[in-house]
Amino acid sequence: MARNSFKIFPGALVCEESKLRGDITVGAGTIIHPSASIIAEAGPIIIGENCLIEEQAKIIHRLPFDQQNKDNTPVLIIGSHNVFEVDCTIEAPKIGNNNVFESKCFVGNKVTVSNGCTIGAGCRITDEQILKENISIFGSKCQIRESIDKPVPQILQMETLMKILPNYHHIRKPNKKH
Amino acid sequence: MSYITGPDVVKYACTCGLLKPIPQLYFCKHCLQIRCRFCVCHEVDSIFCGKCSENIPSAEARVKKNRCANCFICPSCQQELSTRIASKGPANPDDAKSPIKKTYYLSCYFCRWSSRDVGIPDQPSATGGWPERENVHINRLQEVLDTYKQIMHSEKQQKESDKRKQRGKFVSYTDKTGVTASALRKRIGLPDIPHAMLKKPKPPEPAVAKAEVDELPESIFTEPIKLMEVTTIEQRLMQPECQPLTVDKLFPVHKQLSIKQSLRCRTCEHNVSKPEYNPNSVKFKIQLLAYCYIPEVRFVTVEPLRAGQTVELIIKFTNPTQYQTTITILDLDLDEQAQYVEEQKLIDLTQNLEQALSLQEKQPMSLPSLPYSSGSQPSSLLSLPRLPSVIVKPRKIFTETNCDVAIPESSFILPPRDDAAEYDDSSEVHNFEDDPKLIKWRKSNKAFVKLAVTPRADLKLGDEVVCGFTMQHIYTNVLPPAVENKQPQKYDHKVRVFLTLGKVVGSE
Ligand SMILES: [Zn+2]
Ligand SMILES: [Zn+2]
Ligand SMILES: [Zn+2]
Ligand SMILES: [Zn+2]
Repeated sequence: MARNSFKIFPGALVCEESKLRGDITVGAGTIIHPSASIIAEAGPIIIGENCLIEEQAKIIHRLPFDQQNKDNTPVLIIGSHNVFEVDCTIEAPKIGNNNVFESKCFVGNKVTVSNGCTIGAGCRITDEQILKENISIFGSKCQIRESIDKPVPQILQMETLMKILPNYHHIRKPNKKH
Repeated sequence: MSYITGPDVVKYACTCGLLKPIPQLYFCKHCLQIRCRFCVCHEVDSIFCGKCSENIPSAEARVKKNRCANCFICPSCQQELSTRIASKGPANPDDAKSPIKKTYYLSCYFCRWSSRDVGIPDQPSATGGWPERENVHINRLQEVLDTYKQIMHSEKQQKESDKRKQRGKFVSYTDKTGVTASALRKRIGLPDIPHAMLKKPKPPEPAVAKAEVDELPESIFTEPIKLMEVTTIEQRLMQPECQPLTVDKLFPVHKQLSIKQSLRCRTCEHNVSKPEYNPNSVKFKIQLLAYCYIPEVRFVTVEPLRAGQTVELIIKFTNPTQYQTTITILDLDLDEQAQYVEEQKLIDLTQNLEQALSLQEKQPMSLPSLPYSSGSQPSSLLSLPRLPSVIVKPRKIFTETNCDVAIPESSFILPPRDDAAEYDDSSEVHNFEDDPKLIKWRKSNKAFVKLAVTPRADLKLGDEVVCGFTMQHIYTNVLPPAVENKQPQKYDHKVRVFLTLGKVVGSE
């Protein structure tokens, strides 16, 4: 694994207790809760702006077995306005914008997530596929439907967290300029 | 209820002859008998909507086809829909101070379906006025419904007129003011026209069976199927009147109402379970669960079972009541139960005979309706004289036991339940003279009992071993409420307990 190196843009809120490993870049306005883990095992992770990464969420950059031992290091790029809810495990190699990963869902490392998708609570997605835009996966049988709109962003919740979290936790200082 | 008894290893015999685990049984304090859901009378206490928690009178519920007028469920995933606000800019764009216009739409938090998905316009008020979809078959359904209503009505009229004729020829001048129209007609020699409603109703056009159906469109074979646009079977069956084939025809469905149910002992007509009226409350006014009154038997362990060999079985007895009880283990004696069944049959027969005789003496009257039909008005039921409700006849217990239990000679005492005992280790002193051959260990209101069981010699490998015994315990009745100087009454109550011990294993 690569050496730890974190780039945090101003306006991001990264709690010191969060478990960060490897080369990680955090965009402005993104909130990372104290016990979230982000593990850049196979290569750097770049997180976009205004993402919300909640408690116990795990974002792991891990390659499938058949793609390991290649020369080029892949970069996991996560877009903006994504929500990673409590205790989700995400290993997707690419994530677009405005996605919601609900509590305890699992997304395997062969699934590419586009934009505006909702992975429902407890749903496990492991087969190799590209999730189309605005798809929601829900229920115990992982039913799929297409929505007309992307999920509503949680602006109010994020604003509150921005105010409250620094009162109770140590925050990593931003080390990047715009 | 998922009670921790897990797999149904221990079953109790209900008075009606069915075997059930104790969490599924009730205990009627008035008859001192075990009852189960099969042998009690089920009544609808109240009808309510589980989302808005509103009680709905039964007549209104019937008109609304047992659905809530205000609450909807998601046509896509069957969860409840919530109303969401969308602000649509100021009502008057030129005037910055004019209030922001709010509109409302329905949305599902679970699968993200929304009323906008299918083009239902946003509503100006939160409570709805949501457009209802027209049922294309409404005319036909109404026609059939009307016909049945007419048939019902004419049958009722027929019955009434039959009754009138039976009552005798002397009371045709019922009206105080004089003669009836029909009598007058007879008197002046005009033919008596039958009542309009007595006419045979016209049957609706019968449905026609058809073997030929339209050919499948060509596209179904050539174009790839879009799974995202096709509805699932569940989604179609949710809307039986139109059964939409594609997701763009899914409409919000009114939420089905729920009921609160009370259970009544059929023998003494007291409630064994009665919920509180308030839909928000999950409590009960009356809840006579058997496991609150009857000692619980739990299987602890048994030595490997071999055909014809006596092995040690350990079971645990727990006293759930506030009173000390004495437990005696008796023979199963299924013959006695069979005899009881016969007796009940006889009693039933004589009662029926008496009833028939007394009915003959009195005026013929229509049979009282079952409490089922008047279920929604329990108060009116109470005001009625005691009706002979249908009693479920007990039947023989058919479970075969294939394992003999050595009946212990002595009985043992179980102290009352003490909720504080769990936190208090110091006062574990019992002065019970326990038979060490019977009691292995005891703690507060529990006792571990050793029994010697012998699976029958003719059992084969892998056969399920079932044993049974009768548990006699002392039930202390606190009913009627504390009359002066009256001690709580004690009764001997017997219940047959069956244990599934496991399978026969091979020799050592
Ligand atoms: Zn029963
Ligand atoms: Zn409702
Ligand atoms: Zn839904
Ligand atoms: Zn009773």
